[in-house]
Amino acid sequence: MTKSEFVFIALPISAVVAPSTFAVQYLTVDQAQRAIFPGKSLTAAPVKLAPAQRKTIEQASGVRVLHDEQQVWRVSGGGWFIVDEVVGKHEFITYAVGLNPNGSVKQIEVMDYRETYGGEIRNENWRAQFVGKTSQSQLKLDRDIKNVSGATLSCRHITDGVKRLLAFYDVALKRS
Amino acid sequence: MRTNRKIEVRRCRPLLGTFVEIQAFGTNPVELEGAIDAAFLVIAQVHRLMSFHDSESDVSRLNRDAYYEAVRVHAWTWRVLKSAEEFSRNTDGIFDVTTAGQLVKWSYLPRYRFPSGMGSWRDIVLEVTGRVRFRRPLLIDFGGIAKGFAVDRAVEVLKRNRVMTGIVNAGGDLRVFGSASQIVHIRHPAQPDCAAGAVRLRERAIATSGIYFARRENRRRCVSPILDGRTSRAACDMISVTVGAANCMTADALTKVLFALRERAAPLLAQYSADALVLERDGGPSWMFDPTCDASPQT
Repeated sequence: MTKSEFVFIALPISAVVAPSTFAVQYLTVDQAQRAIFPGKSLTAAPVKLAPAQRKTIEQASGVRVLHDEQQVWRVSGGGWFIVDEVVGKHEFITYAVGLNPNGSVKQIEVMDYRETYGGEIRNENWRAQFVGKTSQSQLKLDRDIKNVSGATLSCRHITDGVKRLLAFYDVALKRS
Repeated sequence: MRTNRKIEVRRCRPLLGTFVEIQAFGTNPVELEGAIDAAFLVIAQVHRLMSFHDSESDVSRLNRDAYYEAVRVHAWTWRVLKSAEEFSRNTDGIFDVTTAGQLVKWSYLPRYRFPSGMGSWRDIVLEVTGRVRFRRPLLIDFGGIAKGFAVDRAVEVLKRNRVMTGIVNAGGDLRVFGSASQIVHIRHPAQPDCAAGAVRLRERAIATSGIYFARRENRRRCVSPILDGRTSRAACDMISVTVGAANCMTADALTKVLFALRERAAPLLAQYSADALVLERDGGPSWMFDPTCDASPQT
C-alpha cells in the first residue's frame, strides 16, 4: 500500500507575516492562441467601444464593462480569440476565450492567475505544539507556493466575464 | 534525437464552479498537452452531469422528476450516488446529499420551482436497472463529492494517456500521482489569504474544507454550506479540516464529516485509511490523525 507523508509543516512566523502571493502564468497570449486554435492564423483586431455600445453590453449581460478597449483577434476560417481580465476580492485573472464562428464558446483558458496573500497573523498561538507531528521546515514555503488546498474559490467572476464577452460579441463582432 | 529533459505543462480552466488546474510532468510537451486536454474534457463532462445549476444535468433531472418517475442516469452519476449512499450509511447520515433544500433556503444554491427538500438520503432509491427514484420530494446536490470524483476521473485519463506524474487540483481538492512528492499549502482557517502551513504528499489525494469564504448571517444566525445531515445545522467554527485519502472523492466527502465529528471521526478515518488535520482559528493544528499510528484495534 502506498503511504503518503502526511506531515503538517507549520510555517515559520516570518513566512506567515510576510505578504506572499500565489501567482501562476499558465499561458502567454501566443500559447493561448495555439492552445485554443491550433494550426490557425490569427490577426489582431482590437475593438474600442463607443459609450452606447458599452451601455448595451452592460444591459444585455448585467455585468459592468470596465475597459473601453478589448483585445480581439480574428481567426482564419472563422472564429474569434479574446483576451480579458477579471478582478475578484482575492484574485486577479487574465484569461482567453475562443469563440466559434457562430459566436458560441469554444474554449476558455486561464492565462494568469494571481491570488494576493497579504494578511498578517496577529495571534502567535498558531505555533501550538503538536505532539510528534509538527515539523518546522527549512523550506522557503512562503516563496514557493505551488499548490493550495482550501475551501473553493468561486470562478463566478470569470463566468460573469464570459457573459459580458458574449454580449460584446453581439454588439461589436457579430456583423463584421 | 530523444530528449529526456523533464518538463512541466500546467493549465487552468474554470470548471465545476471553481478553478481546475492540471499539472503534468514528462518529456514530450505535445503528449502532455493532449493528455491535459483529454482530462479537462472528462471534468467538463462531470460538470455537465452533476451541476445543480444546469437544468439539463442528471442532478437537475433527478430533482425535477425522480419523485414522480424513475430517472435513468449516466453511469458516473450512478457511481457518485452509490458512493454517497455508502458515505451516508457509514456516517449515520452526517454526510447527506439531500441537504440541498436547506442550502437553497440560505441562498447558497439558486431557487428551484421543484419541490423543496424534505426527507433524507434514505429516500433515494437506486434501482437495479440503473434508474433512480425518490421516495419523497428531495433536492440533491453533489457539492461535497463531485469535485473529488472529477479529480479522480481526470487522473485516470492522464494515466491512460501515459502521464506518469502530475497533479489535478479542483479548487483545493487535489490529487498528486506518480513518483514525485509535492508540497501543498493549506489555507489559514480564519485568514484564507494566508497559508497556515503545508503538507507533503505522494500518491495521495487531499481535500480541505473551511467556511471562510462562505460563512454568513441568516436571521442573526451563522450559516455555512457545510451541514450536518442529521440535524441540518451548519458548521460555524472558523476551523479548517483537511483529509488525505487514496482517492479524492473520499477525501472530499470525509472533510464534511470531520467538521461535525472532529476527534470522534478517528474510527471512520481508519476505515478509509485516511489521514486528517484540523486547524484551529489561529492556524495551529489541534488534531492530527494518521491511520498507521492510530489504527483501529482489529487491524
